[in-house]
Amino acid sequence: MFDSDAKKSDIFEKFEKIGQRAEAVLSLGKLPFGMTFDEILSPTRALVNGREIILAGTNNYLGLTFSEAVKSAAIDAIARQGTATTGSRLANGTFREHIDLEEDLKTFFGAKSAVVFTTGYQANLAAISTLAGRGDHLLIDADSHACIYDGCRLSDAETIRFRHNSPEDLAKRLARLPDEGARLVVVEGLYSMLGDVAPLDEFVAVAHEHGAYLYVDEAHSVGCYGERGRGLADALGVLDKIDFLSGTFSKSFASIGGFCVSRHSGLDLMRLVSRPYLFTASGSPSNVAAARAAMGEMMNGPDLSRELMARAHQLHAGLAEAGFAPASPPGPIIALPRPDELTAVREWNQLLAAGIYVNLAVPPATPHAKSLLRLSVSAAHSAQEIDAIVSAFRDLT
Amino acid sequence: MHSGTDQKTIFEDVARVLSARSHTQAAIRPDTRIGADLEIDSVEIFDIVMELEDLYNISLPVEAASDIDTVQDLVAKIGQLANVR
Repeated sequence: MFDSDAKKSDIFEKFEKIGQRAEAVLSLGKLPFGMTFDEILSPTRALVNGREIILAGTNNYLGLTFSEAVKSAAIDAIARQGTATTGSRLANGTFREHIDLEEDLKTFFGAKSAVVFTTGYQANLAAISTLAGRGDHLLIDADSHACIYDGCRLSDAETIRFRHNSPEDLAKRLARLPDEGARLVVVEGLYSMLGDVAPLDEFVAVAHEHGAYLYVDEAHSVGCYGERGRGLADALGVLDKIDFLSGTFSKSFASIGGFCVSRHSGLDLMRLVSRPYLFTASGSPSNVAAARAAMGEMMNGPDLSRELMARAHQLHAGLAEAGFAPASPPGPIIALPRPDELTAVREWNQLLAAGIYVNLAVPPATPHAKSLLRLSVSAAHSAQEIDAIVSAFRDLT
Repeated sequence: MHSGTDQKTIFEDVARVLSARSHTQAAIRPDTRIGADLEIDSVEIFDIVMELEDLYNISLPVEAASDIDTVQDLVAKIGQLANVR
């Protein structure tokens, strides 16, 4: 045995400041980060400490997590294929349903190629880091999600940021680049923090003018916008002009996993070289089956995106009437900037005490150091539940 | 857009932009550490860089930001990019 546990240096010292910040938040009530839901009752209800609450921060936009068709598909997949693949796509982890899911995605988006990943995070990590190599340039929106930044870090390309949602700023930065090397512009459809949408039609024009590929992460917007939920690019009439479109199965698709589709068949070559694709186990049979069933519901079931948008408008109007100023026009994500972090934490606790769960978002996860109360709407929310959410906000002191 | 790219002019521009965003009273000198002395975090530094990029009509790669610790590091990087343009 060792005589002492002495180390050269305290490895946890670097987390001291963030630990103190978490303690300050905890002193105001519950810790909003990594909260435990004791039981999930439906897409919009859960039990916390024996109390039923309304969920208004789950990204479960279409509410398909409790769809009978989706649940049955997942249960059936476990019964037929077991609980896991126990291997990567390149080795033993490609089952027939992974291929079927990729074929479904090609049909859904009218794409030439589709690759499925184990998580949405890995989809962007893999695609961005692999597509852009040494000598290439990545141009990313300044408000990009962490997985886009991480994809850039893993890439050997040079990364340039442009101002959020500004095709003009992108054009300026593209014009400064040398002629050599490929250019990959990366934007999102619906931004997860402030709930604003990208002018994709304008980005398409700028990318085309400067000979750049356009990559759109539609993690939040697929299911919510466009014909049958095909996404924002479809809604804006530019789906066939997008070079690469990525997304996640963990929101509207009621599962977990990610994907990238493309109008270029070359995307398939990524399977041979992309580390986040190669060196991880593939999605479990139940997750793959759930994603396929959810896509089937989106294509053939009732148009849930209409329900979703109706509820989003109701919530947005109710909150505005109650004196709040949503950061963006009505949409599936409604963010309310608060004056400071402590106010946001205090209000988050008051809402939970009133039986409403929303997301608390604070810097550095938010743009411009804003503290936000972030709500996401579900097609499964009833009009009465939306009223209850608004009422709890009205009662905030 | 700025026309001057000599170190003195760049330092003055950097100092002006940093002092508007600094969270401390620390004097801004070439050896001042942007994070430790001015308490400007990694997200804020990106906004500052964008302002300076516009001023000098340059693009500073994200990867280069991790090498910037002091005010002089930032001044030197801007000078390098502005002069090779």
